[in-house]
Amino acid sequence: MTDRTLLSKMKDTAGGRRSDRIAKTVFLSAALLSASFVFLIAGIVLIRGALPFLTDNDGLGSVDLLRFLTADVWLVGATFASNLYGVGYLILSTLFIAFLSLSVSFPIGVLTALFIAKVAPKPLAKVLRTVVETLASIPSIVFGLFGAGVILKLVYDFSMSIGYQSKGGNSILATALVLALMTIPTITSISEVAIRSVDKALEHGSLALGASKTQTHFKVVLAAAKSGIFTSAILGIGRALGEATAVSLVAGGRRSGVSFDLLDTTATLTTMMLEGLKETTGLDYDIRFSVGLVLLVVILITNLTLNAIKRKVGSVHVKA
Amino acid sequence: MKRTLLALTGLITAAALFACGSTATTTTASFDSAMTINVYTRDTTSGTRAGFMAGIGFAEAETDDSVLVDGFIIKDNTGILSAMSIDEYGIGYISLSSVNDTIKALYYEGVAPTEANVINDTYALKRPFMWMTRAAGDYPSADVEAIVNAFVAFLGTSDAGDIIANAGAIALPSSTTWDAIKSQHDVCLEDNSGVTVRFGGSDSIQKVAQALTAAFMPKCGNFVAEHDHTGSGDAYKRTNDPAIKDTSVGKDLAFASRYFKTTETVPEIQRGQLAWDAIVAIVHLNNPLSDVTAADLKAIYDGTYAKWSDLDANE
Repeated sequence: MTDRTLLSKMKDTAGGRRSDRIAKTVFLSAALLSASFVFLIAGIVLIRGALPFLTDNDGLGSVDLLRFLTADVWLVGATFASNLYGVGYLILSTLFIAFLSLSVSFPIGVLTALFIAKVAPKPLAKVLRTVVETLASIPSIVFGLFGAGVILKLVYDFSMSIGYQSKGGNSILATALVLALMTIPTITSISEVAIRSVDKALEHGSLALGASKTQTHFKVVLAAAKSGIFTSAILGIGRALGEATAVSLVAGGRRSGVSFDLLDTTATLTTMMLEGLKETTGLDYDIRFSVGLVLLVVILITNLTLNAIKRKVGSVHVKA
Repeated sequence: MKRTLLALTGLITAAALFACGSTATTTTASFDSAMTINVYTRDTTSGTRAGFMAGIGFAEAETDDSVLVDGFIIKDNTGILSAMSIDEYGIGYISLSSVNDTIKALYYEGVAPTEANVINDTYALKRPFMWMTRAAGDYPSADVEAIVNAFVAFLGTSDAGDIIANAGAIALPSSTTWDAIKSQHDVCLEDNSGVTVRFGGSDSIQKVAQALTAAFMPKCGNFVAEHDHTGSGDAYKRTNDPAIKDTSVGKDLAFASRYFKTTETVPEIQRGQLAWDAIVAIVHLNNPLSDVTAADLKAIYDGTYAKWSDLDANE
C-alpha cells in the first residue's frame, strides 16, 4: 500500500518534470517571440527610416542627412515635390516640452507619493492609490480630448486676461500641461513604491534623534528613496517624449523655427509623424519613418543620460 | 530650505488655481477688431485644403506651407471646428457636412453655405467630383466594360447618394434606386469574383470612391475593385491618353476633383459628375463678420490682412 503510494508519488514527480519541460519550452518561445518583435520593429524603422537618405525618392533626390537633422523648417517647397525636410527644431522643441512637463509633474507626483505613502490615513491612501492607478490607465486620446476641450480654453482665456493673444490656446503651455497630467500617475505610483520601501529603521532613527516628521520625510525618506524617484522621472519623461495623439490635439502644428514662448504654437517629432499620415504618400510618408528613427535615438540618448545621472546620484539606504 | 521649497510649490499651485478660476469668466462678447487674425489650416496632404486654396485663387498654397501667413495653426477638420468655438479671432475652413451651430459659417460671395445652394450651383466655394471611363470597346474584357457601365448607372441612384453623403460630400439629387434599374445590368447577376476593375484618378475622391465600390461589389457579383488614386491629372491620362491608357497604370474608371479641361475631352457618355465637395470658411460666433469673398480669404491666408480691422477697411 505504502509502496504503491510512493510509486504514484514518484510518477507524479516524473510527470511534473515533464510538464515543467513543456512549460519551459512554452515560456521560452513566448519570450523569443516578444523579444523578436523588438528587433523586427527596430529593424523595419531603421531600414525604412534610412531609405529617404539612400534612394533618390522617385526623382526627388535623396534627403541630406545633416540638413535633415539641423534644419529649422519642416519642409521647404511644396509637399510631394521637395526633399528639403528638416527636424532640427522639432528635436529641440520635443526635449523642451518633455522637460517642461516634467518640471510640473515631478514635484506634484513626488509630493502626492509622499502623502499617500507616509502622511495619509490608511483608508484615504487606499482610495488615492486607486485614483492614481485609474488615472494611469486612461488612454492618451482621452487626455487629448480633455486638452482640446478644456485646457485650450483655459490657456486661451488666461492669455487673453494678461493681454496676450494666443493662437486659440494651442501652445507649448497647453502641451506641457496635458503631458504633465499624463505623467503624474506614472511618477506618483513608482515614487510611492520607492518611498514605501525605505527602511523603517532609518525613519525611527531620525525621529529618535529629535527630527520632526516633516524633517524626516524630506531629509531621510525622500533622500533614501531618491534612486526609485529618479526612475519615476525617467519613465515619466519617456512617456512625455513618445506621446503623439494627445499632443497633436493641442500643439498647433508649428512648421518652422524653435519657439520657447510658452503661449506660441509648437510641434514635436511625434505630432509631425502623425500629421497627415493617413492621407500622404511617397517621400512625405517615408520621411515619417526617418522622424521615428530620430525619435528613437532621442529617447535612447535621453534615457542613457538620465541613467548615468541616476548612477551618480546613487542609491543608498534602500531595501532591495 | 526644503520646507521653503514646499511652501513655494504650494503657493505657486494656489496662484495657478486662482488664476485659472478667475480667468475662466473673463471672456466677453465684445469683438476687438484690432486683434490679429489667427489663421487655421489643414495640413498639406488634405484634399479639403487643396479644394479651399484652389477655390479662393491661392493654388500655390495647396501643398506649400511657406506661402501662408506666418504663425498659422495646423489642425484637422474636427480640430478647426472645435478651435472656432474657443478662438474668437480665428478663421478656418471645414467641409460643409461638418458645419454645426457651435461656430459661424460664413457666406461666400454673398451666398449662404447650404446644401441647396451647392446643388443649384450658386454657392461657389466648392469643387465637382467627376468621373471618366475608357471608350466603348476599349476595356480589358466585355465583363469589365459591363461592370463599369453598371457602376456609372449606380452613381446616379439614391443608394449611391447616401454613401456619398456619409463620406462627407454632397450627392447630386436622384430619385432612382438601384433596385429599379438593376434589371438593365445583367452582368451583376453573374459571379464576377474573377473580374478586376481598376479605379484611379483624384486622391481627394479616394475615400468616397472606395465607399462606393465597397457598397457596389456585393450588388454586382462580387467583382474586385482595385483602387490606385494618384491625382486628378491622371484621370484622363490613365483612361484615355493613347500613350498611357494601355500601360500597367491604365484605369477602367477614374475620378477628378475638378472639371475636365479642354485638353481632356472625351465623348459625353464617357464622363459625368457624381458629387460636390463644398468647403465653408468658419469663424467664432462672436465675430461680426458674416460674408467673405475669395479675395478676402486669399488676403487673410497669404498675410495681406493681419488684423480683423484690415478686412473692414477694405470692405
